[in-house]
Amino acid sequence: MGLDTGAEGLQRLPIYRGRSGLKKKPFDIILFFAVVMLLAIGLVMVLSASAVIAEHDFGDTFYYVKRQAIFAVLGIALMIMASEIDYWLYREHVRVIFLSALLSLMIVLIPGIGVIRGGARSWIGIGAFSIQPAEFAKLALIVTLAVYLERHHERLGSFWRGLFPPLLLGVFFFALIMLQPDLGTGTVLLGTTVFMTFVAGARLLHLFLLGGVGLVAFAGLVAAAPYRLQRILAYLDPWQDPLGAGYQTIQSLYAIGPGGLFGLGLGMSRQKYQYLPEPYNDFIFAITAEELGLIGATFVLLLFGVIIWRGYLIALYAPDHFARLTAVGITSMILIQVLINVGVVIGLLPVTGITLPLMSAGGSSLLIILYGLGVLLNISRYQERI
Amino acid sequence: MGVSSLLFKRRIVFLLLFTLIGLLVLWVRLFYVQIIQGDWLLLKAEDLWSRDVPFEAKRGRILDRNGVVLVDNESTPSILAVPVQIEDVKQTVHLLAPVLNMAPGKLERLITKRELIVRIHPEGRKMDEEKAEAVRALALPGIYVAEDYRRFYPYGTLAAHVLGFTGVDNQGLTGLELSYDDDLKGKRGAVSFYADARGRKMPDQPSRFIPPIDGDDLVTTLDVNIQMILEREMEDAWSTYQPKSIIGVVMDPRNGEVLAMASYPTYDPAHYQDYSQEVYNRNQPIWRMYEPGSTFKIITLATALKENKVDLYNEHFFDPGYIMVAGAKIRCWKPGGHGDQTFLQVVENSCNPGFVELGQRIGKEKLMASIRDFGFGQKTGIDLKGEATGLLFRDERMGPVELATTAFGQGVSVTPIQQVAAVSAAINGGAYFTPHLGKSIVDPKNGERKELFTAMPKRQVIDENVSEQVRKALEAVVANGTGYRAYVDGFRVGGKTGTAQKVGPDGRYLSNEYIVSFIGFAPADDPKIVVYLAVDHPQGIQFGGVVAAPIVGRIIEETMHYLKVPPREDGLPKTKYIYPERPPEVVPDLVGKTIDDIRRMYYALPLDVVGEGRIVIDQSPKPGSKIETGQAVRIYLGP
Repeated sequence: MGLDTGAEGLQRLPIYRGRSGLKKKPFDIILFFAVVMLLAIGLVMVLSASAVIAEHDFGDTFYYVKRQAIFAVLGIALMIMASEIDYWLYREHVRVIFLSALLSLMIVLIPGIGVIRGGARSWIGIGAFSIQPAEFAKLALIVTLAVYLERHHERLGSFWRGLFPPLLLGVFFFALIMLQPDLGTGTVLLGTTVFMTFVAGARLLHLFLLGGVGLVAFAGLVAAAPYRLQRILAYLDPWQDPLGAGYQTIQSLYAIGPGGLFGLGLGMSRQKYQYLPEPYNDFIFAITAEELGLIGATFVLLLFGVIIWRGYLIALYAPDHFARLTAVGITSMILIQVLINVGVVIGLLPVTGITLPLMSAGGSSLLIILYGLGVLLNISRYQERI
Repeated sequence: MGVSSLLFKRRIVFLLLFTLIGLLVLWVRLFYVQIIQGDWLLLKAEDLWSRDVPFEAKRGRILDRNGVVLVDNESTPSILAVPVQIEDVKQTVHLLAPVLNMAPGKLERLITKRELIVRIHPEGRKMDEEKAEAVRALALPGIYVAEDYRRFYPYGTLAAHVLGFTGVDNQGLTGLELSYDDDLKGKRGAVSFYADARGRKMPDQPSRFIPPIDGDDLVTTLDVNIQMILEREMEDAWSTYQPKSIIGVVMDPRNGEVLAMASYPTYDPAHYQDYSQEVYNRNQPIWRMYEPGSTFKIITLATALKENKVDLYNEHFFDPGYIMVAGAKIRCWKPGGHGDQTFLQVVENSCNPGFVELGQRIGKEKLMASIRDFGFGQKTGIDLKGEATGLLFRDERMGPVELATTAFGQGVSVTPIQQVAAVSAAINGGAYFTPHLGKSIVDPKNGERKELFTAMPKRQVIDENVSEQVRKALEAVVANGTGYRAYVDGFRVGGKTGTAQKVGPDGRYLSNEYIVSFIGFAPADDPKIVVYLAVDHPQGIQFGGVVAAPIVGRIIEETMHYLKVPPREDGLPKTKYIYPERPPEVVPDLVGKTIDDIRRMYYALPLDVVGEGRIVIDQSPKPGSKIETGQAVRIYLGP
């Protein structure tokens, strides 16, 4: 009974290896529209938030929004394309996916190939065509875990034989990403792993114990890099060091607070005038709350709520275990990013450096998210119930 | 679906619940920040966004007691540059530099500074209106013409030390400008706009104007007419005697209001930078400390009368020309002494041995207590900064010799304002008033007036009847004695001469360095003014008594007329001479005297000096012969 019954009572689910016996339906239109709406709002906000800085840095007001628009169009095409690619193909090619993710995560660490941006060696490529292997690794890990958990879900009741290998995989990816270092992406990755094992049927006792271990490890990581400790202290009381560690949080609050219920009006943000660093990126939600007020920010949160609700619903009615876990992984990844990003922006969490999915300006991360949503849409086409 | 499927579903539902809670937590926090904390955050953020272009307040004026403006403002706009708002530095420099008559390189350096607001100093500060208009006409972005003021002195150098001057930021630096700075300065306003983090104006945001609050006017106790009388006389003395400095104070003894105060050499407060710091920083009437000399005898006299130690009219004193004190011989200024005299004549003659006798009768405790009562040895508390305290002998170090010299004004160090305040108390009925220059603070907008000083005396030093005796004795000094050159017909002048040798930095007396002074008041039956004048090191060789007394006499006479004081008829007649006939005077024996000695003498005869040297080797006419007053005595100097 209940959630803690564990994996003993699990029954083998059918694994679809081909199209046989499955009827393709239209994809989840609510999810699709929520995504498109968020993309549209994101575009407008990127324009508003970046215009001043783009004008100053590049002499082109539309520098960022043009890129963003291109990536958004590309991304939607990619999403629709992905919704046509049957999800089980990923299961069939999981080795390739896993190995290429692993390889790219290693390559990016090599100086000369990996490019440093914002203090982390996270990028491969040149200029607009550069990608972040960590973004790709998120999807690759989700697929890999889904394959493993589907195949071995009956072993999940055992810690060492069941739960430990997928967690080890997550931690291994996390460790690779922490070498860049990118705590934000690493945290999302680890969180997604935990969410997936949780749904797959891991024992709660094990997860709680691991949570304790994780806390200790996290404390160790924080202690290892002083800037992380500073961020956390700044989070506890940003006003202690308003020009140092607390700067970003305070500048973000200076945007959100004056926004009030109705906001200053579209384009009227004051904090985008170089007070808030990269307002079109990690802090886009702050500018949204400033210009559109509590009402606009609530609407954005609701749209994310819709996406996550549809995502978990798709998982709930997924045709097989692999599809279900993949849907849980993709949805959880979005959920965790939203929670952390908005938490940071409104001063609930220490500054970590995570973008807001679908809204923050960004090339490869936007494409990856939209591709992931495309996978989700594809799974929705094989739902057993609507 | 089996059990396993149920477990998955439960856990997914749990995740949906978790999502709901997570988003709700975010939303509640968002609500808290935007709605509850919103106004507080907005206030703090406004500090961050706001940039103020200062808008100077008009500084309050300084008026004399009758409302005559002594210090006014003239509009002198200043330029402010906001470097980040300047679009074209080259063009700005090209257009602005010629208008400001400024080196282009310097201007470019200033307007490219990484500062929010740069002042173009000094070319772009406190300019005249035409220049400001020319700059406005250029309408250069990032270049602002801001309201600013410069002090304007309708009377030029008049009362410069008292009024003081202001710095380039309109802050009071000396004098009344400094001591009443808080009232005068007002509150600076601003044009406030929102700027981005680099200081450029945010578009589409309102600018706010915070109007400046002008400063209050200061009404002083000065009377511009009396100040002009005083300074005209000082100016005359300045060219006649070419001294190192002259100090002049006119005060109303009935309440401590300073009617005029001046210090020479003076300066032009509008261009104070052109003068040495010693000139503009030293308001000598309050800053200078020196031996008062015989003017201090007034205090000894008042104390002796208060303690009932002397009957001026019936008691006699014989002056052999010196007095022995604890084995030391203290000489009178008059060789051979004044012989037999009443104590009133002791005062008239400024006879040192006579005052030593008075001092001894009073005793050191009572004399020192009285001296302190009269305000010596402490600041008077006048409303100017930089007042000196003066120096008195400490009681325990005071032997008979120190007591004797203190009694006639040597060995103590006092300021002019202390003397004026003390003598005022001695002759006004015994009340000590704090001398002051501020009368009231007036709000220029609604005329609201705040009085600065009460009419209450600080303390009662002597009784009215004692004070009356002092007045009479000092009137006699002018009518019959050493102060006769201050005599003004009909205005009953009382007063006392003083000559003091200056003390060098090593504490020794400087030879040939004297401060000759006179303190006078009128009318003696109801004093309305006290006038103090001191000349520091007059050039030429003359008896000390001839320098300061006549100047004070003229100041009193003019002031009495100006104040329309009715002439008196019951005053003491002038006995020294009656114009136009003057009784002949006996020529003193000056042979063998040094120049120092001569300066210390209170004879009122003009001298005709022949030769150079320090000692009189011959004189004409011979001692003992009689000459008409006004006729010179020729002295021959030798080594």
